[in-house]
Amino acid sequence: MNSTRSKYRSRDIATSVIALSISYQRDSLLARGMGLEHLRELLIRLARMILRRGACLAYGGHWRESEDNFMFDLLRLIAAEQEDNTSGGQDAGTQIGRLYNYSAWPHYLDVTPRIEAQWINSCRIVRITQQLAGIPDPDIVPDAEFQKDAPRVAFNSATTLSAMRRLSMQGMSLDIPDVPGSEKVPPVVARILLGGKIDDYSGFMPGILEEALVTMRMARPLYIMGGFGGAAEVLARALLAPGAGRPPELTQDWHIERNGALAKLVQGSHDFAMPQGAKSTGALLDELFKLVLRARQDLPGTLGTGLTDEDTRELLTTRNLGTAVRLVRAGLTQQNKLTVLPG
Amino acid sequence: MTPSQSAPIPEVYVLWHPHCSLGENLARRVHTWLRPGNGLGPQVFYRSLPAPEAPERGLPPPLPGESRSPSQSEEKRRPTLTNLQIVLALIDENMVADQAWRHWLVSLRTAPSGQRVVIPCALDATAYNMPPPLRELNYLRPAGLPLPDDPGRKAESLENVARSLLKQVTEAMCRVMLSRRTTRSDGTDDSFDSRDSLPKVTIFLSHAKADGTAPARRIRDYIYSQTQLAAFYDENDIAFGSVFSRVIQNGLGAADTAALIAVRGAKYATRPWCRRELSLFRRPRQESAANDRVQRWRLYPSLVVEAMEGRHVSPGIPELGNSSVIRWNDEEKDLEESIVTTVIRDAMLAAFHSAMGASLPFPGPGTPSGANRIVINWLPDPTTLLLIPSISSGQEIDVIHPGRGLSGLELDTLAEFFPNLTFRSFEEDLS
Repeated sequence: MNSTRSKYRSRDIATSVIALSISYQRDSLLARGMGLEHLRELLIRLARMILRRGACLAYGGHWRESEDNFMFDLLRLIAAEQEDNTSGGQDAGTQIGRLYNYSAWPHYLDVTPRIEAQWINSCRIVRITQQLAGIPDPDIVPDAEFQKDAPRVAFNSATTLSAMRRLSMQGMSLDIPDVPGSEKVPPVVARILLGGKIDDYSGFMPGILEEALVTMRMARPLYIMGGFGGAAEVLARALLAPGAGRPPELTQDWHIERNGALAKLVQGSHDFAMPQGAKSTGALLDELFKLVLRARQDLPGTLGTGLTDEDTRELLTTRNLGTAVRLVRAGLTQQNKLTVLPG
Repeated sequence: MTPSQSAPIPEVYVLWHPHCSLGENLARRVHTWLRPGNGLGPQVFYRSLPAPEAPERGLPPPLPGESRSPSQSEEKRRPTLTNLQIVLALIDENMVADQAWRHWLVSLRTAPSGQRVVIPCALDATAYNMPPPLRELNYLRPAGLPLPDDPGRKAESLENVARSLLKQVTEAMCRVMLSRRTTRSDGTDDSFDSRDSLPKVTIFLSHAKADGTAPARRIRDYIYSQTQLAAFYDENDIAFGSVFSRVIQNGLGAADTAALIAVRGAKYATRPWCRRELSLFRRPRQESAANDRVQRWRLYPSLVVEAMEGRHVSPGIPELGNSSVIRWNDEEKDLEESIVTTVIRDAMLAAFHSAMGASLPFPGPGTPSGANRIVINWLPDPTTLLLIPSISSGQEIDVIHPGRGLSGLELDTLAEFFPNLTFRSFEEDLS
């Protein structure tokens, strides 16, 4: 298979992980003339291009079979792209083209051994426990109690969700009991954003915004497809706004007014100490806004797109999926000096 | 079915009113049907919810090229090869009663552009109360409407409605894709919209009499009674006393034969004439002229109806390549409808991909891949590729094929057979 390998595949970014933060919001997409099928096509086009360069994907989907969950589409794609590295070839030992599924407590409690076993060669589930999130032992909620409607459960769950987003950018070492050494999970080196809830979310802030924040904080390439609605559009508008004005969606008050669960969480959080590295909603939004202000001065530089200013602006606003895919591919190719492959 | 540079390359817009409960489901079925596999077929877009910048109860985003108001002007027009908009309007009482939608549909229908076809579809009896420019058109009428109130029967009934709609959409699309454009006396091109006769598209039925004739007859009867297509069926089409081989050969190569259905029973693989029919029909035909810089090849689609019974064993048939297969079942009602609708959908897609291939820009001088290019209108498989002389001679060639790219597994297989070929999809070639 060496000819195939050289012609259609490269190992340009073989130890990298690229995160896809893409979620389906029916109304946003339909108002732009598209539906779930278009989003699925976009995801596959991007994912295949990444997998053929040897990189892995990070995707935070759940494991329930529903049509708006792209997890199984990605896994099937990986299965069709994956190469067998067991025979000691040039990439033996390198995990090529697999999916890292980050799952925060308590969501990973739904993942059964059967699911994990079924997809284990295509997917590594990275469980972010309360301990990994830095929650001290006395404050840890036993797994059996995760369904309790208690402020501590909500706080620990939100803290773990935040930690998951942070840790995905840092990379991790996973210890396996009685096995020498540890398994390395590479850090996310670039992130692609589309859609996302701006209200009615769980955690300290909308997932798309927090993922954008942790990516910009680490100065890694961030590709925001803002023309398709949702939180990504809110962020794109904030980035493109002139002057120093702060959009209401980047203030805590706006979110507390619209998200009852967040209001309760913020209220309940007063009684708990934030673990090291974690931040409250207000602090997270303040930090994001600072980065937005910086990006307004130098958009491609702050976002690290590898595109021109004009193309970066087009990526933030285009409602054409083909254009969005083309720009992300061009940006990733430029940023990572990728080989242009046929296929 | 000779394509030309002016062959239609459509994109489809499915319109439904936001309050129409059936619309989204049907639109998604149309999308899935017209775009099988990985990016095959024409682009399908939706128009239903108001555009983000529209007023409350306003209209969806305009179609490309449509002017509505400056605030809703389309973003920078993307480069596209398409030259025809097919507007499938799913019309129900909500659309009929909505003045904004009525006005929009009329403007889409009456706009001077000859590059748009409006196909109305009646979802209820009020659909015919649209303004005259719509009302004068022959509506699609999916069977099975209105849906029963009984929730237990709703899913099955909806499935029947969707199937009926897809059949009618496919026939309407075939009318557009497979007919020839005419040139008026003043030299201008005929508008796509004025096509009012379905071309006599023929489906060649290949079967072995030794396997029995039930499936082939049922398919033939369906074609003649339920569609505006024709079938080549040996019992009917080979005149007594004529030269058997010549008639079949002419039937297979006729310009109006757009697809082949092979009814494969246990004996089929051992019948020389069946094999001959297959190998003749599944032979790529060169479309480009000898002095063209790019070779373009076309393959007409074939569909295998797997009609083997019990525990019969039959040899494989390499000529079938990657033809699609449908399993035959005597007990299954409407199976012939699925078979025929699928094969004419594939014929329509083959015409679409052929037109797309003809429109691909040729890489300029200095582009390394510009020297040896073959553009094909089907997904590559070893059997058919080996019938193209420049490929079988082992030259280094870029093969440009429809869709968004083959899977890693498919590329691995093809690379083993053809180390000198590089496979690129239309999308890859355009990006």
